[in-house]
Amino acid sequence: MTEFLQTLILGLLVGGVYALLASGLTLIFGVMNVINIAHGAFLILAAFLTYSIWSATGLDPLAAIVITTPIMFVCGWVVYNLTLRRIRTGPAAATVLLTFGLALVVEGLMGIIWGNTAHAVTPPYVNQSFHIGSLFLPKAQVYGGLIAIAVLAALWIVLTRSWLGRAIRAAAVNPQGAALVGVNVSAVAAATFAVGVASAGAGGSIVSVLYPFLPGSHYVWISRLLGIIVLGGMGSLPGALIGALMLGLAETLTVTYISPAWATAVPYALVFVVLLARPHGILGTRLREDVVT
Amino acid sequence: MRPLKVLLPGLLAVAALVGAGCGSGNDNGGGGSGSPIKVGASLPLTGDFSEPGKAAKQGYQVWQAIVNEKGGLVDGRKVKMVIKDDASNQNTIVADYNALISKDKVNLLLGTFSSLLNLPASSVAERNRMLYVEPAGGSPEMFSRGFKYLFFAQQATADHQGDVFADYVKNLPANERPKTAAYPTLDDPFAQPTSQGIEKVLKAGGIKTVYRKTYTIDQKNFDSIANSVKASGADLVVHGATFEDGVGLVRALLKIGYTPKMLYQTTAPSLGDQYAKGIGKENTEGVFYAVSHSAKAKTPGNEQFVAKYKEMFGGTEVPEDAADAYAAAQVLQAAVKAIGGIDDQAKLADWLHKNKVDTILGPLNWDQAGRPQGKFLVGQWQNGAPEIVLPDAAATVDSPEPQWKPGGSGT
Repeated sequence: MTEFLQTLILGLLVGGVYALLASGLTLIFGVMNVINIAHGAFLILAAFLTYSIWSATGLDPLAAIVITTPIMFVCGWVVYNLTLRRIRTGPAAATVLLTFGLALVVEGLMGIIWGNTAHAVTPPYVNQSFHIGSLFLPKAQVYGGLIAIAVLAALWIVLTRSWLGRAIRAAAVNPQGAALVGVNVSAVAAATFAVGVASAGAGGSIVSVLYPFLPGSHYVWISRLLGIIVLGGMGSLPGALIGALMLGLAETLTVTYISPAWATAVPYALVFVVLLARPHGILGTRLREDVVT
Repeated sequence: MRPLKVLLPGLLAVAALVGAGCGSGNDNGGGGSGSPIKVGASLPLTGDFSEPGKAAKQGYQVWQAIVNEKGGLVDGRKVKMVIKDDASNQNTIVADYNALISKDKVNLLLGTFSSLLNLPASSVAERNRMLYVEPAGGSPEMFSRGFKYLFFAQQATADHQGDVFADYVKNLPANERPKTAAYPTLDDPFAQPTSQGIEKVLKAGGIKTVYRKTYTIDQKNFDSIANSVKASGADLVVHGATFEDGVGLVRALLKIGYTPKMLYQTTAPSLGDQYAKGIGKENTEGVFYAVSHSAKAKTPGNEQFVAKYKEMFGGTEVPEDAADAYAAAQVLQAAVKAIGGIDDQAKLADWLHKNKVDTILGPLNWDQAGRPQGKFLVGQWQNGAPEIVLPDAAATVDSPEPQWKPGGSGT
């Protein structure tokens, strides 16, 4: 029983962080129909920025989120206006290719700046845990999970309570209608992309504490995050949260009760099974155009 | 939302781009007496293996510089390295070695880095009947194909890299010897056979296996694995690892407050400063690992290699991969000198099958499949620095410490 509880706790902690990492990806898709393949690369870029801030100033890497998030927001806004803006309404395949190209460019730049060696951010609590009876809660995972929840809550409040959030949701549901009532859809798209990349900024700081990373690490992350948002329903923020928690739990339960060798395969098998029952993911919505084509 | 099927062409195009990779290299024609001897290799200078690939390139460059300073390889002909970038891609490396042979018309070949890339590259060399000495590719499957031109320029193949360590553990006094062992292992052509080789020796020595599980390269979270290892109560943990997972598991063991009596890892602890930064220097004390080269070793030519490396590339550490590449080139050089020419590659291979070569890694000799027949060095972190502890002849400190003593475990 203790082992089962321990496995559940570890799975939920991992899933909480996955949720934050996937939130920006699903947000950008929901509003812009852009599958941002560069999301993993932005995540690792933020991890490297955190590494530089931490090693230069000694600032706690999780506190560095207040620096990496705005930096990545600006980065997202600039990247959008320089590249994506021109093909925003083009075929989805073009945006996939473009963002994949962006991922390669970011990976190359990280290799030039930080080198292709693995880096690790190791504040004192990185090897420590909270102990409750015979259960342990890794401190870095707990802090990371709590910050992820706080950032997700902030994102949710922005989306539901602010004018920008309403504009983002309006642009996502009906761009023409949004434009008719005065929403500048193009500017909203830029802001959405920037917010999505900024969430990767916060996520990257957390990732830097939890796992060693190198420029090529983004491939593993983007495949995992795509799995999460497909599972949860592409474009749905609550769906990303559910998908992330399910994937986190599936991973840890597989490692403990089946074999670590299946820890990658079983969660994706879960995605497959869910898609058979719900082709648009757990909270995905079936739209009119999906029926027509 | 667009239907997902619209995305398919884009995703396929991405997959094609990922698969394609790209290569680049120098184009040099010519040959003949008096002209430089062209030695070709393709290395992973970009992509996943770019750090070891760059180090291997440095090793080849140091060899080129030293050989040319001494008047050349044979008949006064100097060496000109032709190095391509395979981008850590198995398809690109095949194209690269074909191009080196047919387009660049190199006279000799040297190998690349990792079993993954050496497997296809060595096939190209074998098909063209060209000698292929490789610096880093110790997977047993490399040598099960009946190749005649393939030689591995380290002391042992992966399945024997832990032999010296396993013998040491097996022969510890009863009160110090671990009774049980756990073997978490990455699914990798190098890490897995090393771990299996150690288990075979220890099982025969009466040390019970209480955990053996394999995980994939995608594994990021090691807390659950560490928890299972803890539940097994193993005295000794033998971890078949590369870098990220090596650091990940140690951190996870520390987080749950589990300190096995002994800890052995492949690859990760040999990466010096990177490893110490990854797990915390205070936690390195007593970690064992296998290593092929020591900058302090008294092997023939080692001092010259280390000095030349530092002169050309600076820094305080000499990467193991640079030393392995240099040793591979030394093997090639020994065969060419002994035969007195480069034209008959079969003769070069025959000579290597029958003779021992002195390298900076120590003397190397091979069986008919190109497997080296030596013993790996055993390294251990002591007082915050990587040292050689076994065999005694190569040791840089008095004796191994039998215990892992992390300084920062628990809360």
